[in-house]
Amino acid sequence: MSDVLLSARGLRLAFGGVKAADGIDLNVMRGEFLAIIGPNGAGKTTFINMTTGYLRPQAGTISYEGAPITGMAPRRIVARGIARSFQLPQLFTEHTVLENAALAIAAREGPWSPLKPLLRPAWREEARDLLERFGLSAIADARADALNEGARKLADIAMAVALKPRLLLMDEPTSGVAASEKMQVVETLARVLRAAQVTAVFVEHDMDVVERFADRVAVWSQGKIAALGPPAAVLADPEVQREVIGIERHAAA
Amino acid sequence: MYGWFEENGLLLGLALLDGLAYAALVFMVAVGLNLVFGVLRVLNVAHGSLYAIGAYTAASLGLFLSARGLPEWASLAVLVVAAALVGGILGPLIERLLLRRIYAQEPVLQLLVTFALFMILEDAQKLIWGTQPVQNDAAMRLLGNFDVPFAGDFIPFTAYQLFVLPGVAVATLVGLAWFLRRTLTGRVIVAVTTDREAATAMGIDASRIYLLTFTFGAVLAALGGALSSPTASLVPGVGAQTIVLSFAVVATAGLGQIEGAALTALMIGLSRSIAVYFMPEAEVLTPYLIMVAVLLIRPQGLFGAAETRRV
Repeated sequence: MSDVLLSARGLRLAFGGVKAADGIDLNVMRGEFLAIIGPNGAGKTTFINMTTGYLRPQAGTISYEGAPITGMAPRRIVARGIARSFQLPQLFTEHTVLENAALAIAAREGPWSPLKPLLRPAWREEARDLLERFGLSAIADARADALNEGARKLADIAMAVALKPRLLLMDEPTSGVAASEKMQVVETLARVLRAAQVTAVFVEHDMDVVERFADRVAVWSQGKIAALGPPAAVLADPEVQREVIGIERHAAA
Repeated sequence: MYGWFEENGLLLGLALLDGLAYAALVFMVAVGLNLVFGVLRVLNVAHGSLYAIGAYTAASLGLFLSARGLPEWASLAVLVVAAALVGGILGPLIERLLLRRIYAQEPVLQLLVTFALFMILEDAQKLIWGTQPVQNDAAMRLLGNFDVPFAGDFIPFTAYQLFVLPGVAVATLVGLAWFLRRTLTGRVIVAVTTDREAATAMGIDASRIYLLTFTFGAVLAALGGALSSPTASLVPGVGAQTIVLSFAVVATAGLGQIEGAALTALMIGLSRSIAVYFMPEAEVLTPYLIMVAVLLIRPQGLFGAAETRRV
């Protein structure tokens, strides 16, 4: 059995009367791609926010590589080796794509020599190499606000990968990406993440993407995990189909 | 027209030189205010107090040290040291103890808090320096006068106001633009300004960037004050006058503009100075008339885009 990288136990968090996490227990195994699916408001993003320090659970614990990280500040969690991307790509629009990547490298390398340039040779080279792996070399010098959605998503995730995480949490990596680009974006992602041996947890609404790329899928429903297992089995479950996928297909239509 | 120039040419020349020196000081204060607002999103009314305290500290420190045998040539360095002390001590104190508690609050509350701080610091100045004018023009006397050729004649003008003030302002402008656009720390400041959450997600310590930026802005305000101190006798209220004029520059230029703030400071400094010489009754009004006229036509300021970069 492969070892547990991240372990969540009994996570609870309510916003007013809404239970965004109502006893979440989940182990993320080292090296796997775990998809999180479920209707809007089921608490998928809340789980990512709790794991990355943006929200503190009201009860329960999260441990990473065996050590507790519950309630730690986001940047301390980043330093442990957990990175995230947001549903809306959070690129620095004042910077070029290359500078964005170099900023992530700089953040990882800190502390800084403050007056040295951002694009010093070693970082420039590493940033170029990173963008190459993501197939973004052609737009390295474009400003981040000039990109199409697929490129923005990839650049955003490239920045997270630049932090050299062992665990990457992605909130809807394909949302907003044109259908024609979607599979290509995910293929690139999967290739880079597997090569870098990054464990990935991603929220996804497209069941084709889930079926093709996830090792396991967790179904979120009203703050709970309703089902967990290999995609073929989980997605075939009639209840999951009715409760979750039906809603997804309906929402997508 | 020719006749008018014959009669008033030298006066106009003097007004332009005065305006240039004045614009340099206004720019130093306005650009710091603008930087702090762009990054922290707090309009710091107490920025003017840092200017005033910088001025008083520079004058007093100079008087104190020269009474103890400080050579005259060091009086210029004293101005810079005073500014670094004031900005470097008060800046972090204000940011850590006060501003950091109100970042998430409504802008109205932020304004009230920094206005309260301004009132407290105004009274603190009166407690420390009294209400009698404080003057120390050693730095200006040190450099003497320079005859500026103008329209076939010469205008004697202090070399300090002619070279030091504009020189420091230009150095600040170029240095700041280079710092923000070329250095790592500058790029990180811009990144935190664009998206604090994303910067935090990369492991950047945004609160340290806030502290650094505010301290930097505080040093710029104190430097503006310190550099102004040799040119005028200091009286209570100097901070209020400066902050209001800086607001006018920032609003006219557009928030977040560095070069724009420089051009606007020049425009407002020169027109105010021309008013002083030719229409003294309009002196106070001129900068605000310019501001109102610009904002009526371009609400986002002369150089600001509707919603654009903030530093």
